[in-house]
Amino acid sequence: MRAFFGITFCVLAFLSGVAWLIQPRPPKGKIPLVWVSDDNPARRDQISLFNQLHPEYDLRLDPRDNTAGLEKVMLQCLAGVGPDLFDAWGSTDLDTYVRSGVAWDITDELAERGIVLHEEVWPAILSTSIREDRAYGFPTNAAVDAIWFNKDLFDAAGEPYPEGPWPWDELIEVAERLTLRDERGRIKQFGLLCDWWQWTQFVMLFGGHIYSEDGTRCTVDSPEAIEAIQFMHDLMHEYHVMPTPVDEATMASAGGYGSGTIKYFGAGRGAMALGGRWWLCTLRDPDYAGLRLGVVEIPHVGKRIYRAYGRATLINRYSPRRQEALDFLAYEAGKDYNDLINRQADAVAAVVRYNYTPEFLHNPEYPEEDYNAVWRDVMKYGRPDDWSPFVNGQTARRILDKQLDLVKNDQKPVPDALRDAARLVNEEIAKTLERDPSLRIKYYRLTGRERPE
Amino acid sequence: MRTRRHEFRAALGFLLPNFIGFAIFTAGPVLFSLAISISNWHLHRTIPFQWIAFRNFVELFNDRDFWLYSVNTVYLMLGIPVAIAGSLFLAILLSQRLRAIVVYRTLFYLPTFTSGVALMLLWKALYNPEFGAFNAAINWTIDSFHIDNLVRAFGGAGVSAPTWLLSTKNVFGLQVEQVGLTAAQWGIGARDALIIMGIWIAIGGNNMLLYLAGLSNIPQELLEAAQLDGAGKWAIFRNVTWPQLAPTTFFIVVMSFIGGLQGGFEQARVMTVGGPAGTTTTISYYIYTKAFEEFQIGYAAAISWILFSAIFVVTMVNWRLGSKELNY
Repeated sequence: MRAFFGITFCVLAFLSGVAWLIQPRPPKGKIPLVWVSDDNPARRDQISLFNQLHPEYDLRLDPRDNTAGLEKVMLQCLAGVGPDLFDAWGSTDLDTYVRSGVAWDITDELAERGIVLHEEVWPAILSTSIREDRAYGFPTNAAVDAIWFNKDLFDAAGEPYPEGPWPWDELIEVAERLTLRDERGRIKQFGLLCDWWQWTQFVMLFGGHIYSEDGTRCTVDSPEAIEAIQFMHDLMHEYHVMPTPVDEATMASAGGYGSGTIKYFGAGRGAMALGGRWWLCTLRDPDYAGLRLGVVEIPHVGKRIYRAYGRATLINRYSPRRQEALDFLAYEAGKDYNDLINRQADAVAAVVRYNYTPEFLHNPEYPEEDYNAVWRDVMKYGRPDDWSPFVNGQTARRILDKQLDLVKNDQKPVPDALRDAARLVNEEIAKTLERDPSLRIKYYRLTGRERPE
Repeated sequence: MRTRRHEFRAALGFLLPNFIGFAIFTAGPVLFSLAISISNWHLHRTIPFQWIAFRNFVELFNDRDFWLYSVNTVYLMLGIPVAIAGSLFLAILLSQRLRAIVVYRTLFYLPTFTSGVALMLLWKALYNPEFGAFNAAINWTIDSFHIDNLVRAFGGAGVSAPTWLLSTKNVFGLQVEQVGLTAAQWGIGARDALIIMGIWIAIGGNNMLLYLAGLSNIPQELLEAAQLDGAGKWAIFRNVTWPQLAPTTFFIVVMSFIGGLQGGFEQARVMTVGGPAGTTTTISYYIYTKAFEEFQIGYAAAISWILFSAIFVVTMVNWRLGSKELNY
């Protein structure tokens, strides 16, 4: 028995030694950097260019899971095993990273390198990197959605190509004509592909806000927001031009990179689709060769306001290689990276000036993409997502998603759902104020109310 | 004396790694979670750490979501009796002396050692309302037998296949936003879909193995005596097999209740993200949401301890009731 345990121990010790010896290590003399971002095919080339321009580094991607990316980064960083660099998707992510102390304040470091975010980056995406006048990251790219259209499907239906600006009524009429059904009445070609999670886009289009300007109140029950969600609901359940939850489930089954909606559109199952330039990262794939596309701005109601979004790369405050990680952010601010973003069509370059080049408008590799001016123009009307510092973004999302699920499934009238959502989020704001003294002070300063003792 | 001391040291040497592991990875975290359940620990650094006594528990009892998700958890446990009965039935079938019985046993046990995530992805595809196998069969049946027309002819609203994971409906008509019943929610939905899947996974799992072991331990002379007395198959099962399996059944019931109260996390994470409208969020998924999405660690620990208390009470009740019935 003694011999058995002895041999087992020796074998395990030997195997541990082998595992230690063969573990992946950065090439000798190189500084390892780990970046947590989504595993978009474009990301590999962005990393490879950085490694080429900075041979002293070995930058690697740690793929971010779309459903648990924030949790992963937060817990890794707080446990001391976090990446050097990670991406934040919008204001809510940034707020969480800043408030948990994971994001490194790089205001002074950027200034030393002569990088001035306010002057260089599209104003609509500054909120992905700046919190209370302090910089925590650099935007990786910038996006505003527009309406993609499939020229072949338009030609087949004898429809003229849409031109912006155009009203919603016209889009609905075109979408209705381009929605085709099979003999059982099931839709085989959608007039307009649009994901339900894009509801914030509609709220903006209709002039609504999710939060008051100072973030102290949830205003998702405003008449404008109700009208927007009702309109989206009607596109689905009244006009029948947009995928229902059942259709969405079918589309979501498409595997691989890119959402099911992109793949559906690429496969010619949608005549128009609401999406960004970054869709080309998927649609340029040889699987979709021969796809003839056009782009037109989204119809607007009143003022032109479109939802702007993007990622920003942040540095882990606990990383031992923070200074080195700054080189990556400087790379993101530079010409090489921004030109690459535009060539890859990974949305548009975050730095404004790199979008005003002849190469941006006409990429010789993709001469058929003659619509790039549209992407640049709509960026000018971009507005960031509303957010409130007074409520945890994840909690608010859970509440809003639940109510919007009920609307989407036609189980609750829009005004009731949004009124309940606003009430519940405002209750959460009250709870947050009870917990967080710093936010409480800020809240009472903003609202001018007396602070109750 | 010296030998005994030597043996004690040797035993301690063998036990120590396990004790250390238990202390570090089980006892330590459990005690730690008890401590933080009376704190306001939040991963946002702007919230200063404080000991807040039982405030988390008080808040929890006023948390409407907690009660809704508790109801979801209990609802998903409704499949337990069916799963246990199915396991017993399967075990009886697989205890027959048939050719290649080992192959059958392996096949039925297969779901247990297949990755849960893989199984759930498969079931998600089966439940797809458009091209899933279930709805294909249901739609075929409705079309072939003109069921829709028949129902309409009798004044009904028509029949269509359920949308499974996309629907908030359920066979009891549980409400979505508050604890209660409503006819509007009557139907088949995500919760029922998870129950059906749970039954399928559980039937051929460890319960079946336990019953197989239990069946093989029934003294042959009892069965033979019953046969000699002229008892039929049902009478033998009712009066010999079932009572003899009582300890096994008791163990399975206790473990199933514990698993049921702790369950639902994987399904919610992989198949529904807790939706639609929170109808498949269970207590364990709520703990995860609170701790790792909303970063309220103290509050999540409080929910964990309430869950532990519920499991403890249910197990004690099972124990008290079950042990009275155990005569073998």
